[in-house]
Amino acid sequence: MCAEVEETLKRIQTHKGVIGTIVVNAEGIPIRTTLDNSTTVQYAGLLHQLTMKARSTVRDIDPQNDLTFLRIRSKKHEIMVAPDKEYMLIVIQNPSE
Amino acid sequence: LFNTLAAVRVKLNTMLLYSRSSRAMNISTSGILRLNRSATYARSINASVSRKSFCLAADSKILEKSSVQTPKHTIQVLDENGKDVTPRPVYQPDPAAVQSKHSKIFASDTSGGTMSDFYSTTYQTTTNASFAGAFTRSLFGSGSVSIGSQSIMESMSEEIEDPSSKRDNSISLSDVQVKREEVKELIQEEMLDDMVDLYLVESDTLCLLDMPAISVSVDSMEAESVKERNSRYTELCKNRTGNDKYMGRSMQTFNGASKTKEVQSEAITMADAATIANNWDMYDSFCSAGQGEVDLSTDTDKASIAEMIHQNHGPTRTMERTMSVISSSTIVSSSSSRMEMEPFVVPSESKPDPELILQSEEFQQHLFVMERIILENIYQPKLAAYRQLPTLEGMVLLEESSLDEEGPPTPALERLWSFSCELTTGRNVSSMAWNKRNPDLLAVGYGQFAFKDQKPGLVCCWSLKNPSWPERIFTCQSGVTALDFSASSASMLAVGMHDGTIATYNVQSREKTPVIDSSDCVHKHTSPVWQVRWINHERALSGEDKGEALISVSADGRISKWFLRKDLMKLKRTRNDRFKRQVGEKERKSEALISRQAPGLCFDFHPTDSNIYLAGTEEGHIHKCSCSYNEQFLETYQAHKGPLYRITWSPFCSDVFLSCSSDWTIQLWRQDLFTPVLGFMSTQRAVYDVMWSPKWATVFGAVNEGRMEIWDLGASILDPTIVNPASPGVKLTSLLFATETDCVLVGDSDGQVSVYQLKNFTAGEGTQVGTLEDIIGSTLASQL
Repeated sequence: MCAEVEETLKRIQTHKGVIGTIVVNAEGIPIRTTLDNSTTVQYAGLLHQLTMKARSTVRDIDPQNDLTFLRIRSKKHEIMVAPDKEYMLIVIQNPSE
Repeated sequence: LFNTLAAVRVKLNTMLLYSRSSRAMNISTSGILRLNRSATYARSINASVSRKSFCLAADSKILEKSSVQTPKHTIQVLDENGKDVTPRPVYQPDPAAVQSKHSKIFASDTSGGTMSDFYSTTYQTTTNASFAGAFTRSLFGSGSVSIGSQSIMESMSEEIEDPSSKRDNSISLSDVQVKREEVKELIQEEMLDDMVDLYLVESDTLCLLDMPAISVSVDSMEAESVKERNSRYTELCKNRTGNDKYMGRSMQTFNGASKTKEVQSEAITMADAATIANNWDMYDSFCSAGQGEVDLSTDTDKASIAEMIHQNHGPTRTMERTMSVISSSTIVSSSSSRMEMEPFVVPSESKPDPELILQSEEFQQHLFVMERIILENIYQPKLAAYRQLPTLEGMVLLEESSLDEEGPPTPALERLWSFSCELTTGRNVSSMAWNKRNPDLLAVGYGQFAFKDQKPGLVCCWSLKNPSWPERIFTCQSGVTALDFSASSASMLAVGMHDGTIATYNVQSREKTPVIDSSDCVHKHTSPVWQVRWINHERALSGEDKGEALISVSADGRISKWFLRKDLMKLKRTRNDRFKRQVGEKERKSEALISRQAPGLCFDFHPTDSNIYLAGTEEGHIHKCSCSYNEQFLETYQAHKGPLYRITWSPFCSDVFLSCSSDWTIQLWRQDLFTPVLGFMSTQRAVYDVMWSPKWATVFGAVNEGRMEIWDLGASILDPTIVNPASPGVKLTSLLFATETDCVLVGDSDGQVSVYQLKNFTAGEGTQVGTLEDIIGSTLASQL
C-alpha cells in the first residue's frame, strides 16, 4: 500500500510541468515536499487559510456540501489543493509548458 | 425637687463610683432591669408609673447615665387581681454556693435596688426626699438596705418576695454558669426513666437596644417638668459665663496615628474569547448534538465525542476551528457529563502519524484524483480533440495556420497521444479491446507473436484520463495474444495466452490474479490462443447455451466454447472443428495424407446470426461454420495464400466481410460468393490487422508491418486514403477503431498504443451502406 503511494507521488512529480508537490498535515507541518522549506511553509500557510475560507463559503451556502478540491489558475502556474481533515495535498504545475 | 435633684446628683456620683467596679456586670443587666421594670409596671395596677419612669429617665442626662448602671431588679408580674403570676425562673441557683459573693454583688445590687426604689418612691407623690435620703445613707449598709428595699418592694406590691429568691434573682450572670454545670451533672446521673416535670416559664427579657426618646410630647404629664428643666438649663448656661463656679477646660483627644497599608492584588488577566457562528458550524453542531443525545450508551457517545474532539482538535488554531471546538464542547458537555469528556481529550491531541496519513485511503484517493487532474492539464487539448470538443485558446494559432492552406483539406491523421509507460516499453502489443460499458477504458495485451523471445505477458487497462500510467496491470505467465471484454459483466476480461491458457480477470478489483484460469482444464488448448470472444447466444438450443459464452480459437485447430463455472473453467462443449488439411495444391504430396488439424488463427461471429461464424486458418482458408454442426463446415472460402490474421464481418452490410493475411492482401468477400469481390494491396508487407470503421460502411483500417492505412472505398478502391507510416524500427501490430469518435488506435511492437485522430475525413453523409453495396455491385458487374 505504501509503495503504491510512493510510486504515485513519484509519478506525479515527474509529470510534465509539475513544479512541486507538498503534503502537509493538519498543523501545517510538511510531511513530504519537493520544494525548499521556506517556500513549502509559505504555500502551506497561505493555502490553508484559503482552503478554510473556501470550505466555509461552500458550506455556508449548503451545510451538507463540502469542499473536495481547489484549483487556482494564475498566469504563471496552477495550484491544485486536495484538502482533507488531516492533511493537505498541494501540487503546483505549469500547464503551458 | 431641686433638692432631690441635687441629692440625685450626689448620689449618682457615688453611684458612678460604685458602678465602675462592677460595670461589666451591671451594664448588661441594667438595661434589662429597665425594661423589666417597664414591663412589670405595664402589667401592674399603676399603669402611669411606667410612663413616669420613662420620662424621668429621659429628662436628665445624669439620670440617663445612671440608668445604664442600674442593675437588675426583681421581676414581679401582677395580674389584674394583684395576684403574683410571676413566672418562676427556669434556673434556680443554689443559694449555698454563692454566699461568698453575696456581699459584693448585693451591694451593687442593692445600690441599684436603692436607685430603683428611689425611682419608685419618686413616682409616688407620697414619697418624700427624706425617705430617699434615708436610703442614701444606708447605701453602704447591707442589711438595712436590704430591708429598706424590701419594704419598698412591699409597698409596691402586695406580695412579698422571698428575700432569698430576690437575692438569687439578682445574682450576676457569672454565678449562673457555675450553677448550670452542677445542674447538668445531676441530670446525667439520674435515671432516664424518671418522670421529669418540665415547667415552661418565661425567661428574662433581654434588651438589645434601647434608644430613649429625647423629646416629649407637649400633652404628656412630664411636659411641665421637662419645660422646667429646660428653662433651668438655659438659665444655667447663661449664668455660666462669668461665674466662678464654672471653669473652662479644654480637652484634647488623641488622634490615632494613621498608618498606610498597601494592598496589591494579582493582576487580573483578561482573555478575549470570540466566536463566529457560521451557517455550517451550526449545522455541524446540530448534527453532532443530535448524535450525542440519541446515543445514550457510553460507547457510542464516547466514540462520537472522541470523533468530534479529534476532528476539532486536530487542525490548527484558526478562529473557525476553535469556535467549533467551543461549540462542540458545550454541546458535548450538555449531552454527556464532564467526566466522560475529559478522558477523551488526551488521545485526540496526539498528532496523527505522518506515515498514517500517507497510508490512509483518503490520501490515495486524493493522489489519484490529483494525478488525473495534472494529466488533464497536460493533455487537455488532446483529450478535447478526442472528444471532439473545441480546444482552448492555446491551439488557436495552430488552427489559423491550418486554414491558410489552399484547396480542400486533405484527410490526415493527427497523432494525439500514446498510451505507454516504462512497463510496456519493449513489449509487443498483440491485442486491444475496448470495454463494452465504459468506452474510455482500454485493455491492451502485450505478448510476442513469434515462438521465440517469449516473456511473461502483460495486460494493462488504460483509462483515457491517464495516458501515462495504466489503471490496472496484470502480469501473466506467458505472452498475451488475445483479449476481449465481456458485454454482460463489463468488468470481466478474457485473456488468451501463448501457452494456450485462457484466464479471466476482474478489472474492478485490485487483485492481480485471474478470477478463473483454464490451466486446470482437461481439454484446454495446447497451442497459442489467437482469439477470444465473448458471444451472446440469444437463440440457443438448450438452456445452458443461453447467455454469454467465451469462444476461443487456438493453433491446435480447435474452436472451443468455454463455460465458466465457479472455480474453474470448464469446456462445455468443444466445438471440435478440426480444420482438416485440405488436399491441397500441387505442392502437397498425395501419398500420405497425414490429417492434421490446421491451426485456426481468427474467427468472427456473424453480427446478427450468432450461430454462424467464420474461421480463418493458417493455410489461408476461411471456413464458414455453424454452432449446430460440430463436425463439418458449411462453406469454405479459399483465396489467401498465407495465414489469415483477421476476419471481420462488416457491421453495416451483413453479407460482407473482410479478411487480411500475410500474403500482403486484404480481401473483401460476400457471403454467397466464393471468390473475393475486391482485393486490396498496397505494400508488400503482411497485413496484421484489419478493422471496419464503426461509423462508415466504406471505411476500414489496416495495419501492416510498416504502416497504417485507412481505406475509403467510396473514395478509391485502389489506394488507401490515409497512410501513416510507422516509426523506423517499430512494427505496427494491431488496430482498433474508437467507437464514439473519429480516432484510431494503433499498437506497435514497442509497447506504444498511439491514438490518432482522423482529421478532415468525411466519407459522405450517412453510413454509406448503399455506397458499399453499389461498389460491390459495380465491381461484380465489371467482372462479369
